[in-house]
Amino acid sequence: MLAIERLQVSYGSITALRGVDIAVGKGEIVAVIGPNGAGKSTLLLTLAGVVKAKGGAVRFDGRPILGDAPEKLAASGLALVPEGRHIFSSMSVAENIALGATTRNDRAAIAADTERVLAMFPVLRDRYRQRAGNLSGGEQQMLAIGRALLARPKLLLLDEPSLGLAPLVVKQVYDAIYALRQQGLTVLVVEQSVNRALNAADRAYVMSGGAIAMVGRSAELMGNPDFDAAYFGAAKAPGSGQVAGQMAGQAAGQGTRP
Amino acid sequence: MIVVQNLIDAISLGAVYALAALGIGLIFSIMRLINFAHGELIMVGGFVIYSLAGQPMLVMAIAAFIVVTILALGMERIAFRPLRRASPPTLLIASFAVSYFLQHVVLILFGSRPMGVDFLSSLGESVEFAGLRVPLLQLIAIVATVVLMVGLAFFFRASRIGVQMRAAAEDFTMARLLGVKADRVIAVAFALSGILASFVSLYLVAQTGSVSYKMGVNMVLIAFVASVIGGMGSLTGAALGGFLVGLVSVSLQAYLPEELRPYRDAFVFLLFIAFLLWRPQGLLVRQASERV
Repeated sequence: MLAIERLQVSYGSITALRGVDIAVGKGEIVAVIGPNGAGKSTLLLTLAGVVKAKGGAVRFDGRPILGDAPEKLAASGLALVPEGRHIFSSMSVAENIALGATTRNDRAAIAADTERVLAMFPVLRDRYRQRAGNLSGGEQQMLAIGRALLARPKLLLLDEPSLGLAPLVVKQVYDAIYALRQQGLTVLVVEQSVNRALNAADRAYVMSGGAIAMVGRSAELMGNPDFDAAYFGAAKAPGSGQVAGQMAGQAAGQGTRP
Repeated sequence: MIVVQNLIDAISLGAVYALAALGIGLIFSIMRLINFAHGELIMVGGFVIYSLAGQPMLVMAIAAFIVVTILALGMERIAFRPLRRASPPTLLIASFAVSYFLQHVVLILFGSRPMGVDFLSSLGESVEFAGLRVPLLQLIAIVATVVLMVGLAFFFRASRIGVQMRAAAEDFTMARLLGVKADRVIAVAFALSGILASFVSLYLVAQTGSVSYKMGVNMVLIAFVASVIGGMGSLTGAALGGFLVGLVSVSLQAYLPEELRPYRDAFVFLLFIAFLLWRPQGLLVRQASERV
């Protein structure tokens, strides 16, 4: 479904992605985890056409997509829920949801999909006519995901969907994602929160300093002793391993992100 | 009675300022471009009417709509689309370039002297009711503005492209991520600004009975002031700002001492500076949304 090869991105003289390879199969939920600044958001923004790549190749459904405009990618079945949600806060919940179907013209099916999203997130139905800016953070996240689903994407890109949300809301969000997988949705999710990502995903890539440090099935990664080192980039910078190891130990013990 | 008379003057002048300010505000809200060449859209509309002198009124008006709308689309395509990713200051400078270019093309073609046009001069006559004498042109300006504003409001609420334009105005990148076509919403915004500008052309030519290559300059400056007062990026604000500037201008005209009246605009801009010190973000501002 998605094949990323040697993807390179830089902002001016700063290299954000240095040759990233990721493959996502149809119907898979794949997580990219890594600390702040690892290049995860850059990766998703590049896939969605917002950030320009410097080198490499990306194929989506067998077609090269690098350099395509965001609106073209949206029309081809790729949907990004960006970090910070980016709902249209001055517009109503209804208008936000309707905007998700911008690329579609099949009115009846859009109405049915809207109904499905409202059934999935009933709170959006209660607040359907209200300003989206008045929703709580969790409700805004549901709106952002619901809006993305109205495009009937083949591939959903999620940037930190659990950031700043209560655990119950996170569960609700991931339950929705699982339900959609049954219908053939493929998901690439970026998370700082290791536990949530590994619990949710089939496979995961650990990203550090703009490169993939580790890859494997979620269950394997969870027990892997090298995981912490990879997460903190210690593999790339020997000598800082001890400190990073301590921090990772604390983090893992508390079950929160550092 | 004189107060009511002044109020009608203020509303009608404010209505025209509001139309001009909406043209500026519409482009700014979507592109973060302060389009000073908007004045030249108004000016070219005037010269279309001048060039068609003697034709039926409706022909002149429709020709002005069409030419100005095409010109608006043309300036977007040629001057502003290549600069889409440029910073707001670059866009601003580009709009000055377009503005001067169009002024000087008209200067070469028609010369620098203002020229008289007989257009809707019958509307200069006043109708009397309830003891008030109101020029027909003022009434028509008010009615036309109200109709245009209601139409615009309906367009932004009910049409698909209108809703997409509001989304693009709030968060352009997010709108594109949902499949909103950047080229299309920007083109529609320029087309609408052209339609608004051509209405201002009709009013100015009918009001002053003349055209000159500089005729758009003052109007665009006032429209800019109005949209800043309302709050850049807010269309309701732009309209409100237009009416307020109209009210202030007419009040100064009416109540300033006789010998100061020729300097009315200096007082308008003085008040504008005072306003900016008090409320630099404008009256109706939405929180600027963070861009993806």
